[in-house]
Amino acid sequence: MKRSFYKKLILPLITIALISGCKKDNSSEGFVPKYDSDTEFSVSIVGNYANFESLEAEIERFSEYYPNANVEFTFLDNYNKTIQTTLSSDDQPDIYFTMLWMKGRSEYEIIFDKAENLSDPSLNIDTSCIRQDLCWTNDSGDLIEIPIFTTSYGMLVNTDIFDKEGLEIPSTYTELMEVCAALQKSGYESPIMGYNGQSTSAGLFHTYAYPMYCYDVMNNPDSLQDLNNLVSSAGEIMRPTLQRFYDFINSGYIDIDKCTDEIENSYDAVIMRFFEGDVPMMLCTGDVISGTAKRESKSDAFTANPFDYKFYTVPVTDDGGFFLNAVTVAFSVNKDSANLDYANEFMRFITSEEELGNMSELKRLITPTNNFTLDKVYQSLADVPEERRISKTKLGLLDVAVIEFRTALYKVSTGELTIDEAVSLYGQLQEN
Amino acid sequence: MKKAFILITNITVIALVLFFIILYVTRKSEENNNNVITSYENMTLTAEQIITNYLEDEQHLCDIWANYINRSAQDGAPMTMEQAITFIQKAIVLSDIQGHVIYVDDDSREGMSTSARSTDPNDYTVSYKNIDIFANLSSVSPENGIINLTRAYTNPINGAQSIAFLNFVTLLDSSTGEERDALLMRIEPVKLLSEKLVFLKGEYENVEMSLIDKDGNYIVHGKSLKNSNFFEFYKSYNTVTNKEYNDFVTEITTGTGTMNIKNFKGEDCIISYTSLSSMDVWFLLTYLPASELISDRAFDGILLGTVSAGLLVLLIFNFLTMMSYNRRLAESAKDANQANAAKSYFLSTMSHDIRTPMNAILGLNEMVLRDSEDEKILSYSEDIRTAGNTLLGLINDILDFSKIEAGRMEIINVDYSFVSLLNDLVNMIQKKAEDKGLAFKLDVSKSIPSVLYGDEIRIKQVITNILTNAVKYTKTGSVTFFVDYITIPDTDDIRLKFSVTDTGIGIKEEDLSKLFVAFERIEEKRNRNIEGTGLGITIAQSFLTMMGSHLEVESEYGKGSTFSFDLVQSVRKWDPIGNYEDAFHHSVSERRNYHEKFTAPHAHVLIVDDTPVNLTVFKNLLNRTRIQIDTAESGDECIALCGNKHYDIIFLDHMMPEKDGIETLNEIKELTDSPNASTPVVCLTANAISGMREMYIAAGFDDYITKPIDPDRLEYLLMNYLPKGKIAPASDENENDDYEIPNFIFKIEELDVNSGLTHCGNSESYMSTIRMYLETAEKNARDIEDYWAARDLKNTTVKVHALKSTSRVIGALNLGDFAERLEKAGDTMDIDTLEAELPDLISAYRALARELEPLNDLSETEEEDKPLISPEALKEAYDTLSVFCDSFDYDSVINVIDSLNEYTIPEDEATRYDALKKAVDNFDYDLIPGILSGGME
Repeated sequence: MKRSFYKKLILPLITIALISGCKKDNSSEGFVPKYDSDTEFSVSIVGNYANFESLEAEIERFSEYYPNANVEFTFLDNYNKTIQTTLSSDDQPDIYFTMLWMKGRSEYEIIFDKAENLSDPSLNIDTSCIRQDLCWTNDSGDLIEIPIFTTSYGMLVNTDIFDKEGLEIPSTYTELMEVCAALQKSGYESPIMGYNGQSTSAGLFHTYAYPMYCYDVMNNPDSLQDLNNLVSSAGEIMRPTLQRFYDFINSGYIDIDKCTDEIENSYDAVIMRFFEGDVPMMLCTGDVISGTAKRESKSDAFTANPFDYKFYTVPVTDDGGFFLNAVTVAFSVNKDSANLDYANEFMRFITSEEELGNMSELKRLITPTNNFTLDKVYQSLADVPEERRISKTKLGLLDVAVIEFRTALYKVSTGELTIDEAVSLYGQLQEN
Repeated sequence: MKKAFILITNITVIALVLFFIILYVTRKSEENNNNVITSYENMTLTAEQIITNYLEDEQHLCDIWANYINRSAQDGAPMTMEQAITFIQKAIVLSDIQGHVIYVDDDSREGMSTSARSTDPNDYTVSYKNIDIFANLSSVSPENGIINLTRAYTNPINGAQSIAFLNFVTLLDSSTGEERDALLMRIEPVKLLSEKLVFLKGEYENVEMSLIDKDGNYIVHGKSLKNSNFFEFYKSYNTVTNKEYNDFVTEITTGTGTMNIKNFKGEDCIISYTSLSSMDVWFLLTYLPASELISDRAFDGILLGTVSAGLLVLLIFNFLTMMSYNRRLAESAKDANQANAAKSYFLSTMSHDIRTPMNAILGLNEMVLRDSEDEKILSYSEDIRTAGNTLLGLINDILDFSKIEAGRMEIINVDYSFVSLLNDLVNMIQKKAEDKGLAFKLDVSKSIPSVLYGDEIRIKQVITNILTNAVKYTKTGSVTFFVDYITIPDTDDIRLKFSVTDTGIGIKEEDLSKLFVAFERIEEKRNRNIEGTGLGITIAQSFLTMMGSHLEVESEYGKGSTFSFDLVQSVRKWDPIGNYEDAFHHSVSERRNYHEKFTAPHAHVLIVDDTPVNLTVFKNLLNRTRIQIDTAESGDECIALCGNKHYDIIFLDHMMPEKDGIETLNEIKELTDSPNASTPVVCLTANAISGMREMYIAAGFDDYITKPIDPDRLEYLLMNYLPKGKIAPASDENENDDYEIPNFIFKIEELDVNSGLTHCGNSESYMSTIRMYLETAEKNARDIEDYWAARDLKNTTVKVHALKSTSRVIGALNLGDFAERLEKAGDTMDIDTLEAELPDLISAYRALARELEPLNDLSETEEEDKPLISPEALKEAYDTLSVFCDSFDYDSVINVIDSLNEYTIPEDEATRYDALKKAVDNFDYDLIPGILSGGME
C-alpha cells in the first residue's frame, strides 16, 4: 500500500522534473529576451528589397517575444544613393543593408562608419553559427555587418530529366561532357543553357567560369594585388579558366544562339525558360534561384508538369566544381540609432542558425550558416569539400579585376581575342 | 425499435429546436455584424473624406506656388530656379515640408530643393534620375484643384519616405536665358500623412489605415499589412486562384466596400476600402481584426448551452420515464403473451375436446339419417345435424381467427375447378336459403374459365361467410350471388368479380366501420337471436387481404346490402364453365340419388383410435363400402397388427394415451419386413388449429382427416389411396337393408337395437348375430358357472370378457357394462365382487336369452344370397384371425367371423368355418388357432 503510494507520488514528480529539465535545456539553446516582453519600442530597417517577406516573417517571430515591438522594414528608392542621405538625416534608420560591392568605395564610407561593432562582447551576439569566411571585419577588426543572405554561381538542374534518362548528376568535367552527350542523344539540343548578356556584364559565361577563376586567385594570393592593380602580367592567372571556358563553349553542348534567342534577361526569363521543363541544366546564380518559388505558379508549363530541381556547382574540373560564396545582403546597425539597444536585440535574435536559415529558406537564397539542410534546393552544397569553397568576402578581388576577367571571357567567347591575347592584354581589356 | 423511434424523434425535435435557435441567433448576429460592418465602412468613408480634403488642401498649396511662379513667367519675367526655390522657401510654413523644382524637359530630372542635403548642408541640388516616380508625368494636370500626387518614395534630400504634390512651372534657365518647363514638387513626409490616417472618434482601437496606389504599392501602411505591396500581401497569405486574385484587385481599385481576408497569421480580418475622391490612383484601406468587429457571441453560446442542457435533461428525463413505462409495458406484454399462449392452448384443447364428441354426435347422427326411416327421428336428426354444423362453424371461425392472429394462416394455391367451387358454395347455401324461404339467385358468367389456380378453400370460406351472413340477416326476399370476370391483358390471369346482394336488414352507415372488427356484432340487441361469433367478415377480409384483395360493402339500412370483392386468379384451362345453373340443377338431381361412390370388399383398412365409439362411427360410415376394417385402440395394438397383416390404408389417431400417433407411425416405419412398408397412413385428428397440417405431413403421414369425420372427405381419401384394383362401382344391393328385425326385439328393454345395428352394419347381420348369441347363451352361462365353481379365475374372466363383447355387439349395453365390471374384478382378482355379483350376471344373461327365445320360433327358411368368397380373401381372413388370437383381441376375432358371415363359404371350407363360428359363439377362442391349423374339435 505504502509502496504504491510512493510510486504514485514519485513518478509524476520525476516526470515533471524531466519535463522542466528539458524545457530549461531548450530555452538555454534558444533566444532569451533581454528585456521585458511588454517593452514597447520601435526598430526601423531600410533596404533595397521592394518585397522582404522573409524579414517580415522574422519580425513576426520576434514579436512573439516582444508583442509591443514595432519593427518595420522600409524600401528606399535608389538605395545606393539614398542610404547615405537617410543615414545623415534626422530620421535615421536603425538597421540597414550593406552590400559587398559597397566596400572600398569612398561614397559608402559613411555607411560603414556608421555601422556598429557587432562583435562587441557586451552585445552578446553569437556569430558562431555563421560561416566565418563570410564574416567581414573592417580595418579595426570590428564585425560591422551580419551576413543575411549569400549567393553562389552554378546551375539549376532538372533532376526529373536525369531520373527519366537514367543519368547521374555530373560531379566532374568529364562526367559533364558525358552527360551532355547522352542528353543530346536523347533530343536535348542544348543540354546546358543560360542567359547570354551579349556584353561584358555577368551572364552565363561569368557564371560558368568565375568560381574557377576565384579558386585560382585564392590559391595564388600573391597575384591578388597585381590583379586588383590591373598589372598586365597578372593576367596569366586567367589562362586555365579561359582555356576551360573555351573548351566548354566549343564542346557543342551549349547553344549560345539559342540561349540568346530564348532567354531575354538574367532573372525572370532564366527562371521561366527553365520551367518550360526541357532544359536539363541552367547556368545561373543564387539570386535567380531566389525568384523560382514565386514563379512556379506563374509558369503554365511548370504548373501542368511540375518537376524537381536543385542547385549544383558546375563541375568545371575533373576534381569537381567550386562553391563560390558571396554575401548579397548583410545587416548593419546604425550606431547613432535612437533605438540602438533594441536594434541590437533584434540583431541578436536573428543571428542564429534557425532564424537565418528560416530567412534564407523563405527567400530561397543560400544561408550564411553551416546548415544547408533547411532548403533542399541547396542541399548539394553541403557536399562540396571545404578546400573547394571560396568566400568572395575573403578573396579580396576588387570589382575592377572582376570586370577585366569578365571582359576577357566575353572577348574570347566572341572570338575577338584569343586566350593568349586576352591574357596578355590584362589591365587593358576594358579600354580595348 | 419503438424505443429507438421515440429516442430519434426526441433527438430530432431537440435538434430542430437547437437548429432554429442557432438559425435565429446566427441571423441576429449576422444582422448585427452587418450593421457593425456598415458602420465601420461609413467610418472609412468619413476618413477618406478627411484625407481627400487634406490632399486637396495640400495640392491647393502646391498650385498656389506654381501659380505664383507661372504668373511671373506670364508677366514676362520668368523666375530662375533659384528664385523659385527662394520663393518657396519663404512660402513654406512647416519645417517638414520641402519644395523641389526639377527640369523635366530632359532626362536629367535634376533641380533644386528648399532644404540642403542631409549629407551636405550646403548642397541644395536634387536629382530624381534613379527614382522612378514620374512614369505618368504626362497625366499631371496643370489645372488647379486636380490632385497630382506621386507614390511614396524616398526623398533624395533627406532619405525620408515622402509624397509629392506636383504642378508644372515655367522657369528661366539662367545659363541659356531660355524658358524651360520644370516640375514643382511640394514634398511632404509620409509620417505627416499618417497622422491624418486616424478615425475621428477613436472608435476602433486596433484599426490600421493604409493608402495604396493602383498597383497595390503602399503609400502608407499599418504594421499588419505586410509586404511592400498590398496585392502581394493578399496573395501571400490568402489561398486564391488567379481569377479570384484579379477579381480582388479589380474590386479594391474600382469599388467601395468591406471584405474578409486572412492576415499574415492566418486570422480573419476585415478590410474596408474605397478610392480617394478626386483621384483614382490612391485607395484607402482600413484594417481591423475580425474579432474586434464581429460582435461577441459569448451570450449566444450561453443561451445555446443553457437551452441544449435543458433539452438534454428533458431528453434524459423522458427517456428514463419511457424506460420505466416500457418496463411496465413489457411486464404487461409478458402477461398478455402468457394469456395469449393460454388462449392458444385453450383453443387447441378446445379444438380437440369439442371436435372429438362432435365427431361422435355428427357421425352417429349421420348414421341415423342414413338408416332411419322414421320421419320423426329423421326430423330430430336433421336438427341435430344443423345444430352440430352450426357449432362446428363457430368453432372453425374461432380457430381460423386464432390462426390469422398468430400469423400462421397461409394461402395455399392449387389448381381447382371453378364449377366444383360453385357447387360446394351453392350446395351449402341453397338449402339454408330455401329453409328460410328466400330466393337464392345465381348470376354466373358462362365464360368463366373452368380451371383456375388459387386457394380454393379460402375463397370458398370467404364467399361462404358472406353468403351465410346474407341468409342470416335476410328475412324475406332474395340473396343473389353474382360472379363475372375480366381478363388482364398480356397475362394468363383474370380478375374475378364476386358479389352477394341481399334484401336483408342492411347496415347503418355508422355501423359499417364495425363490420370488420373482430367479435363486433352489429345491432347486437336486434340480432341477438342470430347465431355467430362476429368473426365471419373479419376472417373474410383477412383472407382477402392475404390474397391481395379487399371486401367492399354497400348497404342501405332496411333495404339490403351488397358485399363484393375482386380476386386475381391464374387460369389453367380457358374452357368456359358454360351455363352453371343448368349444370347445378343436374348435379342436384344426382345428389338426391346419392349413395356411396364405390365398394371395396377386398380392401383392408386399419383404424386406430383410443375411443371405441369413434371406431364404431368410422366403421359404420364405411359399412356400405364393404371394406374390411380392422380396429385398434392403442399404438401398440396397431404396431402388432401392422407387423402381421397388410393393410391398404391405415387411419391412425394422433392423440392417444401412452403412445401417440406419431410415435406409433415411427415404429411402424421401423418395422423390418413389414407388410405395410408402403401402406399410406392417414392421420386422424381432432386438432384443426394452424400448423397441424404441416406437422403431420412432416411427421411422415401421407394425409390427414379431421374429426368429426367428413364422409365425403373420407370417401375421397379412400378412393385416392386404395389400390384401384380393389375399388368397384357401388351396387344397388348395398343400398337397401330389407332384412326385417322382428318387433319384439325392439321391445326388449335390455337391447339397444340401433347400437346393435351400428356394430353389425345391417339388420341381417344383426339378426344373425342375435341368433348366434341366443344359441350359445346357455352353454356360455354354464361354462362361467363351472369355471367359477372350480375357482378358475382366468377362464372365468375370459368368458366374462366374451360376454361383455358379444352383449355389446347385439346392443345389450347394460349387460355388457355389467360383464365389463366383473371382467375387471377378474383381472384384479377381486374374488369378493365375483362371488357377490357373478350369479346376478349369469342370471341377467339367461334372462336376456329367454327374451330372445321367440327367435327360435321364427322360420329360418329364407335362402341367403351371399357372394362366394375368394380363396385368397378367405386365407387372408384366416391369417387375420390367427393374428387377433395371438394378440388376444377377441373383439376383432368376432368382427372377422362376422365379416365372413357376409359371404358364401366354399364347401370344402364350410366345416372349418362352422367350427370357427362355434368356437367364437362359445368364447372358445383358445380353440381357434388349432381349427385354423387343421385340427377340429
